[in-house]
Amino acid sequence: MTIMEPRKHGDASDGTVGGRQTRFEGNLKVTGGATYALEYPVEGLAYAILVQSTIPAGRVVSVDAEKALAAPGVLMVLTPDDDMGLLVASDWGGNRPENQPYYPLPRQVQYNGQSIAAVVAESREQAVEAARLICITYEQTPHVASFNDTAAGEGKVMDNLTSGWGDAEAALADAPVQIEGEYSTPREYHVAMEPHGLTVKWDGDQITVWEPSQWSHGMARSYSEWFGIPYENVRLISPFIGGGFGSKGAALAHGAVAAFASRKLGRPVKLALTRPQNFTNYGGRAATRQRIKIGATEDGILQAIVHRGASETSTYADWPEQTGAATPILYKVENFSSQHRVVPVNAVTPGALRGPGKNPSAFGIESAMEELAYKLGMDPLELRLKNYADHDYQSGKPWSTRRLREALTEGAEAFGWSKRSHEPRSMRDGNQLIGWGIGCGTFPVIQAPSEAMIRILGNGRVEVVSGAIDMGQGTYTILAQTAAEVFGIPVDQVEVHLGDSRLPGAAIAGGSMLAGSILGAVHKAATAARDELIGLALNDEKSPLRDTGANTLTFSGGRIAAPRDQGPSLTLSELMAALGRDEIEILRNTLPEGATAQEQHQAWTSMAKVQGPTMGEYSMHSWCAHFAEVRVDEDFGTVRVSRIVSAFDCGRLYNPRLVESQWRGGIIMGIGQALLEEGLVDQRNGRTVNGNMGDYLVPTNADVPHIEVISVGVPDYGASALGGKGVGEVGIVGVAPAIANAVFHATGKRVRDLPITLEKLI
Amino acid sequence: MTRTIHLSLDINGRRHELDVEPRVTLLDALREHLALTGTKKGCDQGQCGACTCHVDGSRVLSCLTLAAQVEGRQITTIEGIAAENGELHPVQAAFVEHDAFQCGYCTPGQIMSAVACIREGHAGSDEEIREYMSGNLCRCGAYNNIVAAVREAAEMA
Amino acid sequence: MRDFSYYRASSADEARHAALQSGAMLLAGGTTLLDLAKCGVMEPETVVDITHLPGLGRITVDAGGATIGALAKMGEVADHAGIRAAFPAVSESLSLAASAQLRNMATIGGNLLQRTRCSYFREPDVFPACHKRNPGSGCSALGGVTRNHAVLGTSDTCIASYPGDLAVALVAFDAVVELGGRTISVDDFFLTPGNTPERETVLERGEMITAITVPASAAAKNSTYLKVRDRQSYEFAAASAAVGLEFEADGRTVRDIRVALGGVATKPWRARNVEQALTGKVLSPETVEVASRLAMEGAVSHGANHYKIELAPRVVARAILKVGGLV
Repeated sequence: MTIMEPRKHGDASDGTVGGRQTRFEGNLKVTGGATYALEYPVEGLAYAILVQSTIPAGRVVSVDAEKALAAPGVLMVLTPDDDMGLLVASDWGGNRPENQPYYPLPRQVQYNGQSIAAVVAESREQAVEAARLICITYEQTPHVASFNDTAAGEGKVMDNLTSGWGDAEAALADAPVQIEGEYSTPREYHVAMEPHGLTVKWDGDQITVWEPSQWSHGMARSYSEWFGIPYENVRLISPFIGGGFGSKGAALAHGAVAAFASRKLGRPVKLALTRPQNFTNYGGRAATRQRIKIGATEDGILQAIVHRGASETSTYADWPEQTGAATPILYKVENFSSQHRVVPVNAVTPGALRGPGKNPSAFGIESAMEELAYKLGMDPLELRLKNYADHDYQSGKPWSTRRLREALTEGAEAFGWSKRSHEPRSMRDGNQLIGWGIGCGTFPVIQAPSEAMIRILGNGRVEVVSGAIDMGQGTYTILAQTAAEVFGIPVDQVEVHLGDSRLPGAAIAGGSMLAGSILGAVHKAATAARDELIGLALNDEKSPLRDTGANTLTFSGGRIAAPRDQGPSLTLSELMAALGRDEIEILRNTLPEGATAQEQHQAWTSMAKVQGPTMGEYSMHSWCAHFAEVRVDEDFGTVRVSRIVSAFDCGRLYNPRLVESQWRGGIIMGIGQALLEEGLVDQRNGRTVNGNMGDYLVPTNADVPHIEVISVGVPDYGASALGGKGVGEVGIVGVAPAIANAVFHATGKRVRDLPITLEKLI
Repeated sequence: MTRTIHLSLDINGRRHELDVEPRVTLLDALREHLALTGTKKGCDQGQCGACTCHVDGSRVLSCLTLAAQVEGRQITTIEGIAAENGELHPVQAAFVEHDAFQCGYCTPGQIMSAVACIREGHAGSDEEIREYMSGNLCRCGAYNNIVAAVREAAEMA
Repeated sequence: MRDFSYYRASSADEARHAALQSGAMLLAGGTTLLDLAKCGVMEPETVVDITHLPGLGRITVDAGGATIGALAKMGEVADHAGIRAAFPAVSESLSLAASAQLRNMATIGGNLLQRTRCSYFREPDVFPACHKRNPGSGCSALGGVTRNHAVLGTSDTCIASYPGDLAVALVAFDAVVELGGRTISVDDFFLTPGNTPERETVLERGEMITAITVPASAAAKNSTYLKVRDRQSYEFAAASAAVGLEFEADGRTVRDIRVALGGVATKPWRARNVEQALTGKVLSPETVEVASRLAMEGAVSHGANHYKIELAPRVVARAILKVGGLV
């Protein structure tokens, strides 16, 4: 991409790492010039539309496509009868069954809304209308609509998620104060503003896929494996993504269908999911429930936590929404036991949605902690500080950094927590009951190897080149800032190329791991490029800096010079001209030295090389504390969030302006989760009946108060090369319990099942 | 065969000729037939505001407007509000300054809505801005910054 | 959306004539027709565009009342100073409806004819049974997810709620629909489902709403529209109330009171029993609370919508207390 006149802001630190540089690609986005996946001008497009099952379980007996095929403009109908000749691709871990056929339009129906057929036509309108003419005959079998269905059973224990130490049951039984509660969260959906879809085009056995992607390399791998073509033959392009939140990390069945249709027709194909199909075609956050028992002393010292959780999964894959993910690490507790089950139901396999695991987990433990505080008659803030975890009791390792205490105390100070009156229903304004609540959150620091290229051009511009993506987190901006800092040049002298699987490999933009991972690679490559330039400048006989006698050079204010004003200073372009160089190109990655090509490929296209939070000496996590104020209309039961203060420890912030935006975004999604969002399933046929943006409610502008965000973090160089910890996921974690706790404080009613809709309070 | 009709649409001060089926919406006409992809399709059901553009100066949803309906009207899209020389509209500039977006997908709709909101006189207070900008959903959660941007642009207007 | 032909009418007579053709439907703001055409619920063969008809968008307010042309936009009426002064409930019902963009598109005539938000009605492929869409096919909502469904005016064939706001205010103030050849009160314009849920209004093929008139009254001048919903904005009502009130000279005895409910019934619901209970009474929180409960006389819930029976009277009560100056 090219930069369009960046605006200057404040002091020079704006453009360096840690500065408040405005969004690098901002001008493109505000002018409509940013090009998303379905917006590429491809000649000769045909349009595909999916036809989805209307039963929850069974078998497709036949598909009558005669009418559809006769409809105007229709080019092709694909059904389970079409053997596409595809093979199953690798899973997240990079594991792949051998020669297993893949049927993106399957004969077996496993959920209501599963894609069964596709229609391709000359125009989208024709395809949509013809799709309605497809007649599918099913042989229906019994189904399980949700994990509340009596036929669902208890599900199966995920052994890898069972965790414990001490003797939790005994310690609980001995504890003088005990609380117990069951907390549940419904199916929730990503609702990224840009619906899923793709444009795909073949040139011989080369395929180009324009598709929104949180992971260009991982998704390119799926296409190559499905179609049995070399990885190099796939190019997945995704420079702009209209929101992902976890939903755009993997290639999905509709991509395979579009690519197959395109190859068969010999024409480029565009396939856009309708908004309702975005609710059925891929999984959101699984519904969860968890029972938590806490034992404590009378002065509020935790003795034991016993946690038993479950989440829905599909009938064909196990995806645990880990209700025990935050439970073991938020507080100091010597006796702990946690278990999580998955319960198969006839639904699409759930997926990662902002703060996976940690989010519903925090709803449980942070609600339970406030229940304990009220049982003890203790200020919930005091209870949390009293049980502060000095190290990670689960792994036994010390924290790398953990400024949760500061988050709690500084957040409380900014919020005015000390003015709180403890009793429920003790604060009001006319018909409105006012309540305050706290919710803590955490998300692990995850890292993956990444690669980046730096090019210094003859015209003095510096290019950062990476296959990493930017869905709004700010990758363009912080990469530009990193290069600008290393070369001592303004940000507008940098160009950043992202979102293309042909470019150097990068971690997925998920699990809050991209920034820390890719900045390490970019910084390494930029430093190496600078070193190479220094070497040339000091040694090349054509260099005006050769005679300065310096053994290094400084890069500052757009000029390169020897330290202490010895001799001339040159701009990058002047130096490149003097050296007679058109370009200096350096590629670096953060894999161990000597990694093979196969290891590199594996690192960029699978999760096999991902480093978890406790794989080193430390236990590494981001932390936060949310303080929420709600106003509840006593008569109507309506809850409005009137104030939020949230304090975060995410280590060093590469660009506070963009970080604050991400934090607020997570908090706002948390407001939706707390008060509005719920996939409503018709138990009779397993269909989510509110799968659209008018019925599945996400917060509007009017639902959101001013949100104050505070950073209490310090650089954590154990967590990443440049000291940052993850930012994107943690913002939502703990918001829902903060609001639920505030609702309890306001009304005296403890709502343990989200969302907190008005009928639960009247 | 499906029927097509010939339309002349006045968009951003330019006349565009196109042959489309009568059922083609203004949104699809812009995106699929005229390569004006700045106007976004978020829901195609009137539930999100991403497709907001102006017809005769009034903000409307192009997904629930037939292209045929607006022949003879003046249509303005996100591509048509910056100055000829490329200088950003004050609302566009304020959105960049206040970081009033993340992924950018709802942004053209937000900006078209904001321009109209200010012109309508519905940007008098933060509360009023919030209410009158509520027809534009933003899942990244840039609402605080959108309010700040609209407020600033309204004060300058 | 099925293929259709587009016809731009140049006069009201031409539009009515065109609408008589089989498969023809009038297109005004498009916010219902195009939405439901995309859902496959409405399948016009010809769309008759009436948005360019001259003279049908006028708003006039005088001492006798208001006349609102059928093609006036919701947003224009909401912001009209004369309407706001003489009929605050009408103005508020519009301001609180949909979004600014939709209010700039949707016309007053079209808004009255807005169809239900029943999820089952809107998904013909997944839920073929719907008496409203396809008489005799059944009702998928019964036994399904019913949180947004009606508790008043329902029948064995249909429990879909009327989603609009404006009509609730209009029915409270005895507004009249002008159909060109005839006029009818808004209350009588709408039908409860009974055994014919496919028939939502008395509008006949070839008829077109040309205007709505609202008589001025002291109660209309002292009125409000209160809308309660899960989300703060851009959402349909969980329950709403349009209330207008005129006191006797003593400032506390009710001379005239109008009460109508939205979000809870199959049509805009005038609660005359509440009005009767309070007329001639001294307004107090207690009398209001007791009387408001009468609004739910005959209410029947279907599972998840039971809360509406509790919620709606509270909304009515708050609205009455507000116009009565008691909150």
